[in-house]
Amino acid sequence: MRNIYLIFRRDFLGYVKAWGFWLSLAAVPLFLILGVGFGMFAATTSPVRYYAVVAPTPAISQAIEAEFQRRVSDAAEEAAELAKRMNIPLSEAEEQISEAAGGGRKYFEVPPPARTLEELRPWLAGERTVAGPAGERGLFAAFILSEDGSQLEYWSNDVNVDALQRTAEIAMRDMSRRDALTAAGLETDFLKQADNAAVKVPAFRLNNTHAGESGAEVTIADRAPAIVSGALAYFLWLMVFSIIQYLLMGTIEERSNKIFDTLLTSVKLPELLAGKLLAVFAVTSTMMLSWTAFAGIGSAVFAAQVPGMTDTISPFLAALTDPGLIIPALISFVLGYVLYGAIFMALGSLCDTIQEAQTLLSPMMILLMLPMFAIFIAFQDPGSPVIDIASWVPVFTPFLLILRIPHDPPMWEIIAQMVMMAAVTAVIVWLSTKVYRAGAVHGAGIGEIGGMIKSAMGIKPKAVKE
Amino acid sequence: MGDAPLVMSGATKRFGAFTAVNSLSFTVPAGQIVGFLGPNGAGKSTSLRMALGVMEPDEGEVALFGVKPEIRALKRVGFLPEERGLYKKMTARDTITYFARLKGMSANDAKARADELLESTGLGKFRLSRISKLSKGMAQKVQILSTLAHRPDFLILDEPFSGLDPMNQQTLENLIRAEHERGATILFSTHVMEHAERLCDRIVMLARGRKVLDGTLEEAYATLGQGARVSVSAGFDLAAALASKGFSAHRAADKGPGEAWRVELPKGLGAQDALRAALEAGAPILGFQPEEARLRDVFVNLVGEAEAAALDVPTPAEEAA
Repeated sequence: MRNIYLIFRRDFLGYVKAWGFWLSLAAVPLFLILGVGFGMFAATTSPVRYYAVVAPTPAISQAIEAEFQRRVSDAAEEAAELAKRMNIPLSEAEEQISEAAGGGRKYFEVPPPARTLEELRPWLAGERTVAGPAGERGLFAAFILSEDGSQLEYWSNDVNVDALQRTAEIAMRDMSRRDALTAAGLETDFLKQADNAAVKVPAFRLNNTHAGESGAEVTIADRAPAIVSGALAYFLWLMVFSIIQYLLMGTIEERSNKIFDTLLTSVKLPELLAGKLLAVFAVTSTMMLSWTAFAGIGSAVFAAQVPGMTDTISPFLAALTDPGLIIPALISFVLGYVLYGAIFMALGSLCDTIQEAQTLLSPMMILLMLPMFAIFIAFQDPGSPVIDIASWVPVFTPFLLILRIPHDPPMWEIIAQMVMMAAVTAVIVWLSTKVYRAGAVHGAGIGEIGGMIKSAMGIKPKAVKE
Repeated sequence: MGDAPLVMSGATKRFGAFTAVNSLSFTVPAGQIVGFLGPNGAGKSTSLRMALGVMEPDEGEVALFGVKPEIRALKRVGFLPEERGLYKKMTARDTITYFARLKGMSANDAKARADELLESTGLGKFRLSRISKLSKGMAQKVQILSTLAHRPDFLILDEPFSGLDPMNQQTLENLIRAEHERGATILFSTHVMEHAERLCDRIVMLARGRKVLDGTLEEAYATLGQGARVSVSAGFDLAAALASKGFSAHRAADKGPGEAWRVELPKGLGAQDALRAALEAGAPILGFQPEEARLRDVFVNLVGEAEAAALDVPTPAEEAA
């Protein structure tokens, strides 16, 4: 154990002393903060813009204005609901809703200073200004209704900002619906009433263990284990994905340094491999746990501000501490990590240069995309026969077993798959040790991998260079 | 140390159809400095890797302190591989400390020992420098110190002098002598015979994977017939003149005044006897030099000049360089 610790310690410190580690550690929270901050900044600092509508009647203007008013009304309803749920003053709730929406209304109609596009051009180009609620400004956009009334042309110097165009589209659609309903002698909220009258389709579960009673409606508490297992499977995949580079590059450095002979006169090869795998595991875990902690702190802060959020989070915490889920998941996690780690480390030991290792990265990525697809399918339909079969394929088992546990597969399957995973991992580790010895110690290359596996399995090899 | 540090018995290693080491047997007795000699490709490194358990022999046995090479026995060994390598981002002190700890020293002892060794070899001020910042010679020194740090009972050094400048070669010779005085047994491989002549109690010579000699320096020299170099005026047939006196002589390619001859000394006769016989035979002597036995000559004598040349045995001039 002491030797494993020493190898682990050296490798771990070697990784964490590198700049790249700290950059990676800081990158995710930093980009998240910057992303959210930039979004909020962009929303709150976006300017007030004027638009004009050129149409023979005020119907178009009124429809667009009605759409803006509908949003104001929706926001007011939302604020009232929030104030009630959070037990806060209405003004505070309105402020929060307004902040979330980017700080109030940004578009205002002004009377058109001209009637044709050519005449409007100086205002649209910002060469001339019109008076409006925010003072003198150029026109951001102009709507011009075509002569036959079939098109409302949207003209602007900045077509990338299309919020106003989309608002107008919704307004025109609603206006058309309203006209059609009125023409048919129906009330204007006929469609809304029809939607409300639709037959509801609630989900129930026969054995609702979380609700404690059979036949209770499915809640977030029922879905939490599946979501948590999905997150764990994805976490394992992400970890396996991120160790490829560490294991490939780290081994190349040592192979080029010709350091293995010295190490192997001090530690056993399995100790060396165990120390290295642990170090990479610790490095990736440190990174991912740091990101998770960041996300956790963020969620906690958010939950503290939103009453009722604790009730939403607690089923997930309960799932995470459920031994029936977490024990098999942890076993799958560890075996899956060791299985893939041993393969990558063995392959890395056969590379002399970074270029050589890079040629291996593509097939490894493809190999890793297969479990990703399996995770995706299993998350959508865990009871699929394809997933049943795939869960017996050793490279998929660690991921799929984690995903299947919340769906109560037969106990014998769970045990058999764990035993199979342990056996396959042991064989892979044994083979990888042989390949690693041949590669790292005896300088064998990728081309000799077939011969080495034959040799490991007792079939006489043709030659392995010293 | 009850058992000999190393016993190899009939060790053979093949790589496909190529036999790198062929039935090699020898013993490294405790407390001695043993030179493991042979040209490049003779099988020295493969033999040492078998001795350390890095590689298993296909046939034969290896015993390190009386047991199969395994970690417990290897903790008593310090090994310097031919192909040097260290972690480039570690400092000199951390490197020595790390390898000493892997050999079983405590963290504090290993650190103190690293500082002591670095100070004693003039690298004290570089102890916190990364290996990548050191010169090649300094880095090699750090690796050698890493080998010695845990005060091993048995040092195995594979081509320890290669890549070192003359001053550092001398430093290394001093270190080897100091370790020997401390009581360590030392086995080092080299293809430079002069180092072995200066340091070794015993030598084991290899050629094409086979042992060709195993004994003390005196025993090695004894395999070589002694001779003397005699230069005479051009046209004088020294072989004919000495034949009646029991000496045989052959023309030599030595440069110098007149024509050079090598006179072989029969058992019991010395160089002075050859000189006296030549004078009595009326030889016009221009130069005379008793031959000094050298390990290279022993090797050439054992494997033949042609094979020695083919195996890239360095000439005396190359050795000196």
